[in-house]
Amino acid sequence: MACTQEKRELLDAYLDEELTLLEAKQLEAHIYECESCEQHLQELKRSVAIIQSASHFEAPRHFTEGVMNRLPEQPARTKWKHRIRRNPLIVAAAAFLLVFVMSMAGGMGDGQEMVVEGEGQFLLDREQNLVIIPEGSTVDGDLTIRNGDIEINGEVTGTVTVVNGQHLQASASGAAGEIEEINDALEQIWFQVRSFTADLIPSGSDEE
Amino acid sequence: MDIVVKKIVREVKKGNQEAFSELVELYKDKVYHVSYRMIGNTHEAQDIAQEAFLRAYMNIESYDEERKFSTWIYRITTNLTIDRIRKKKPDFHLEDRVSGTENLDYHSQFADDVELPEDQIVKLEMQQWIQEEIMRLPPKYRSAVILKYLEDLSIKEISEILHLPEATVKTRIHRGREALRKRLN
Repeated sequence: MACTQEKRELLDAYLDEELTLLEAKQLEAHIYECESCEQHLQELKRSVAIIQSASHFEAPRHFTEGVMNRLPEQPARTKWKHRIRRNPLIVAAAAFLLVFVMSMAGGMGDGQEMVVEGEGQFLLDREQNLVIIPEGSTVDGDLTIRNGDIEINGEVTGTVTVVNGQHLQASASGAAGEIEEINDALEQIWFQVRSFTADLIPSGSDEE
Repeated sequence: MDIVVKKIVREVKKGNQEAFSELVELYKDKVYHVSYRMIGNTHEAQDIAQEAFLRAYMNIESYDEERKFSTWIYRITTNLTIDRIRKKKPDFHLEDRVSGTENLDYHSQFADDVELPEDQIVKLEMQQWIQEEIMRLPPKYRSAVILKYLEDLSIKEISEILHLPEATVKTRIHRGREALRKRLN
């Protein structure tokens, strides 16, 4: 224990590095002479050193996911807006003019690859399997998406057909024609037959 | 303030929820560590730390960008932890096993079948003992001591986090230090 209350306070200030140079020198001189003050200072320093040797813990695994899962739901619209803005790669990779047929797999929608058929400007989000018709963009004629979802913020003049996917926007205002979702297996077969025959009738395409 | 943090905060304020995960990544360790040291229990610490981020998200509009984000998130964390400690109302005696540390098991952080070398065990026991000593401090000294000596914050920052005058913070650190000196020597 420090020899006096006054010295004790000085020792605290000394540890906090709040004494002037002169005050510090004077206290050090006193400590040199006074055993109890010296011991007190050593004990305080030792206690601090012990506490400081406590190791640092990292947050548990999946901590961030846990937080994000607890955040309130956002309206879908703002969410997409931000995803597109935050992922310029998606936009850069996908925002080119698509003339007539675009198929990601090369084949015609066999398997689970997303296939888009249509004419106009749209964005592809491959990770989400999502096609977005951005605001201000128009797709002339029909639009068909297989194995993917569609969100229409712009305009589609023809009919929108979604095979094995969903139309994500609540209002149908973006499409001039009708919107058809085909998710049932039987319906899909019927659609294939229908579009196959439709493909045969107009000027024969060069697809195999 | 850090430009990166500022940018992320702006994004979150604009409604970009996903940007918030970057803030969580940046500060999760600090927040978790402070709450763990104050509450002494890993489960509760995680719960409090997640709750702190949730509150930060909900109140992001009230966050003043001119101030350090760490100060703000520390403030939310210490408030939540102190609330939690008050609700627990531990009725303990000095010689009892410290409430809140019964789940404190460093061994559980390792896989069961891993045989720990002797020096590791000594280290773990030493760490366990330190945490028990921290838990013996009255909460108001505890928070000041943790922020000062474990988080290495300045008196000014601690006074902002705890919303106390700097002189009060100093007094609490001195008293906490003195309590530790008496027990540890």
